[in-house]
Amino acid sequence: MSYQDPAEMKVDPPKRSFWRNLSLIWLVPLVAVVISLGIAWQTFAARGVQIEILFDNASGVTPGDTIIRFRDVGIGTVEDVQFTSDLSQVLVTASIDRAVADTLPEDARFWVVQPEVSARGITGLSTVLSGVYIETSFVPTSGAAARSFTGTATGPLVREGQQGTRITMRTREANRVSEGAPILFRGIEVGHIEAPRLILSGESVVFDAFIEAPHDRRLTTATRFWDTSGFSVSFGASGLSLNVGNLAALLTGGIAFDTVFSGGEPLNPGYVFDLFPDEASARQSLFRSVGANAVEMSTEFEGSVSGLEVGAAVQYRGLRVGEVRAIGAVLAEDTARPEVRLLTTVALDPQAIGLPVEAGAERLIGFLEEAVEQGLRARLSTSSLFSAALIIELAELPVDEVAPAELERRENGMAVLPSIPSDLPDFTATAEGVLERINALPVEELMNQAVRLMASIEMVVSSEGTRQAPDEALALIRDIRGLVGGEDAQALPGELRAGLAELRGMVEELRLRDAVDRLMDVLDNVETVTANTATASEDFPELVEDLRALIARASGVEVEELAAAATRVLNSADQLIGSDEMRQLPPALARALDEVQQVLADLREGEAVENVNRTLVSARAAADAVAEAMNSLPALTQRLDRLVGQADGLIASYGSRSDFNSEAMQVMREFRETARAVTQLARTIERNPNSLLLGR
Amino acid sequence: MSASDKATPPPALTARAAGLVGCQSCGRVHERGVETCTRCGAALHSRMPDSLQKVWAWLFAGMVVYIPANIYPMLQTSSLGRTTQSTIIGGVVELIEYGSIGVALIVFVASVLIPVGKFVAIGYLALVVRPGSRWRKGTGFHGRQHLFEVVEFIGRWSMIDVFVVAILSALVQLDFAATINPGIAAVSFSLSVAFTMLAAQSFDPRLIWDVEEAKAV
Repeated sequence: MSYQDPAEMKVDPPKRSFWRNLSLIWLVPLVAVVISLGIAWQTFAARGVQIEILFDNASGVTPGDTIIRFRDVGIGTVEDVQFTSDLSQVLVTASIDRAVADTLPEDARFWVVQPEVSARGITGLSTVLSGVYIETSFVPTSGAAARSFTGTATGPLVREGQQGTRITMRTREANRVSEGAPILFRGIEVGHIEAPRLILSGESVVFDAFIEAPHDRRLTTATRFWDTSGFSVSFGASGLSLNVGNLAALLTGGIAFDTVFSGGEPLNPGYVFDLFPDEASARQSLFRSVGANAVEMSTEFEGSVSGLEVGAAVQYRGLRVGEVRAIGAVLAEDTARPEVRLLTTVALDPQAIGLPVEAGAERLIGFLEEAVEQGLRARLSTSSLFSAALIIELAELPVDEVAPAELERRENGMAVLPSIPSDLPDFTATAEGVLERINALPVEELMNQAVRLMASIEMVVSSEGTRQAPDEALALIRDIRGLVGGEDAQALPGELRAGLAELRGMVEELRLRDAVDRLMDVLDNVETVTANTATASEDFPELVEDLRALIARASGVEVEELAAAATRVLNSADQLIGSDEMRQLPPALARALDEVQQVLADLREGEAVENVNRTLVSARAAADAVAEAMNSLPALTQRLDRLVGQADGLIASYGSRSDFNSEAMQVMREFRETARAVTQLARTIERNPNSLLLGR
Repeated sequence: MSASDKATPPPALTARAAGLVGCQSCGRVHERGVETCTRCGAALHSRMPDSLQKVWAWLFAGMVVYIPANIYPMLQTSSLGRTTQSTIIGGVVELIEYGSIGVALIVFVASVLIPVGKFVAIGYLALVVRPGSRWRKGTGFHGRQHLFEVVEFIGRWSMIDVFVVAILSALVQLDFAATINPGIAAVSFSLSVAFTMLAAQSFDPRLIWDVEEAKAV
């Protein structure tokens, strides 16, 4: 066994690894790279998507400066403006925010917004400072991501996504409506018109209109549109009327609408409204939907149809049920010699005739077949007396008067209505006939008569009599004034005063008679006697009866009536004095009336009535006292009898038999008469001043 | 070339050869092996550790951020609602178009020539001092030393553009009428300048001479 040394070991120093050699300082460039890359990524992400827009011209669009806006918020910038290869258009390259660009549909509209001054106001004012911008309008559609577009010159009147209804309108000529013209509902702008365009056949102008959201609910098939542009002057039975719309409508044209009858149905897509020239014709038209389910058929006329136009009405029993669609000539082949017939195509609305809404062509033709058997014929007639325009009338004639005919069906499916010659002798002469008719009118005569009438009126007016009438009226007034101011009238208060003086004298007399005092004394005596008498008299009941009669008589005295009469007179007098007419009378009269009033007041306030009352009260008390006494002496009875007689006399002097009473009544009555007469005169003049002029 | 070689003095005794280490802070000489300066406490290195790595790292970082500094706008000028952005080169071109060739030249030199020159110079120095480098022929040791000194001196001057932007942004803030804001490039550019300055500082100029030493050995 040999001992071997282990082999020499080769020991290398540990190799420092590349990574351990690395200094921490390398983190700095690493961070720098990361940050730079981050910035780069951010820029790339925000860089947007390139889109291309073709414009006819791009006035004011500057690369790097012009902003593209959507709903007035910037979504991108124009990066480049250059021509297309054939120099016919301008190609604007823009970068758009990526999120927006992904939703751009192909029909997105782009237009350059520039400051614009129009009849409807100033728009785009903000671009004066900031320069033009490109506005876009689209309905965001996710995933659409279109990249090239064609710009338009002007923006759409309706923003995409705006709530409302787009309708189509048809009119004969659009010289009064222009793009952007307002649509008014009771004077409030609720929509716009878009650009009018000719339909391919060139027969009419069609334009779209947009009615904004809450108002489009009003649209039904019963809605009628009419032109309100400018102003209209119409002269009719109600006189001259001038209609002026609002200013914008005056400048750009405008359309108004309203629902003219109830029961309209919701609009179908593709419904076309007719634009009427004015409100009156719009409201009169109950002609609903020609076009929707109208049935076309034709009718042939012999002779001239001059005056019949496309669009002319087809009337049935005076109601418009359709319109003329086309007029043409065809060569009739079924006749021996060549004959040209005028074929008129008409569109009939089943609904207007009264058939149900869903009625189709078959139903209408069926109806017409029966009607033709019953004598229905088409014929031309004038639309009005003074118009040469013709309409087609579906006339119902007695079957025995017309040649039998039937609704003919052609191979092309077109039904032909039989026609009869019109009762108009010569259609072309219609206008002339009208003129002749006008000529034949006795216009000259009428004018002459009018002139004569004028002359007569003038004569009457200028005649002496008419001219003097006012003078006479004046004289009459003067006379009346004289009458009022005359001595007779002036004397009236005097007379009144005299009457009153008499009245007053009478009252005085009444007062001076002392009758009352005497009665008082008598009654005092009665009371004494009664006090002395302890027992009642046997014939007391008799006495009581007498006393009762006495009291009854006293009650019957007409003092109350007198007072009432006086009050009435006073009231009358008051009225008289209070009336305006009386104020004009001489104040003396008023004074006299015052006096009367005073006298009457005196009379009322005077002691007389009260005294009587008091007396009567005493008398009753006395009577009561006597009644209480069981026995009365015959002597006492006799005295009482005397007393009663005296009282009777006294009361009688006050009573109806007295002169005083009747006299006073008479005076009052007279006075009342006088006052009434004056009042009557005043009233008469007031009610009927003419009576002064007419002398009645 | 030959002149510089001739100017090179004969190899001298270096501190390293003598087994000594000088403190870079206070200059005191120590024996090799001493870790920290006995006078000021600074760490002692005969050569800066990982000097070249640091140079490369800073240089690379500076070059990276110099790219966005040139691509992105330096200035954002808003005037009456219109915003214009201008990059460094774009600004120079604009200045030339306006006819201010002098100013354009200053901006161009300060913002383009000097930074790019610095990258080149530092990169060159870092390459040259590597042992066995093939790039040494162009310059002598003194030339390299001068180059290094120039780079270190001139570095701060390329901040002139950043200062202009800073002052303008501070002064021109008139809301709608006119506003100037610094762009991303301003930050990138100042970072780039700072990084290259750090790269220059990380470079140990003694490495330049070590090459001669190695050659002599």
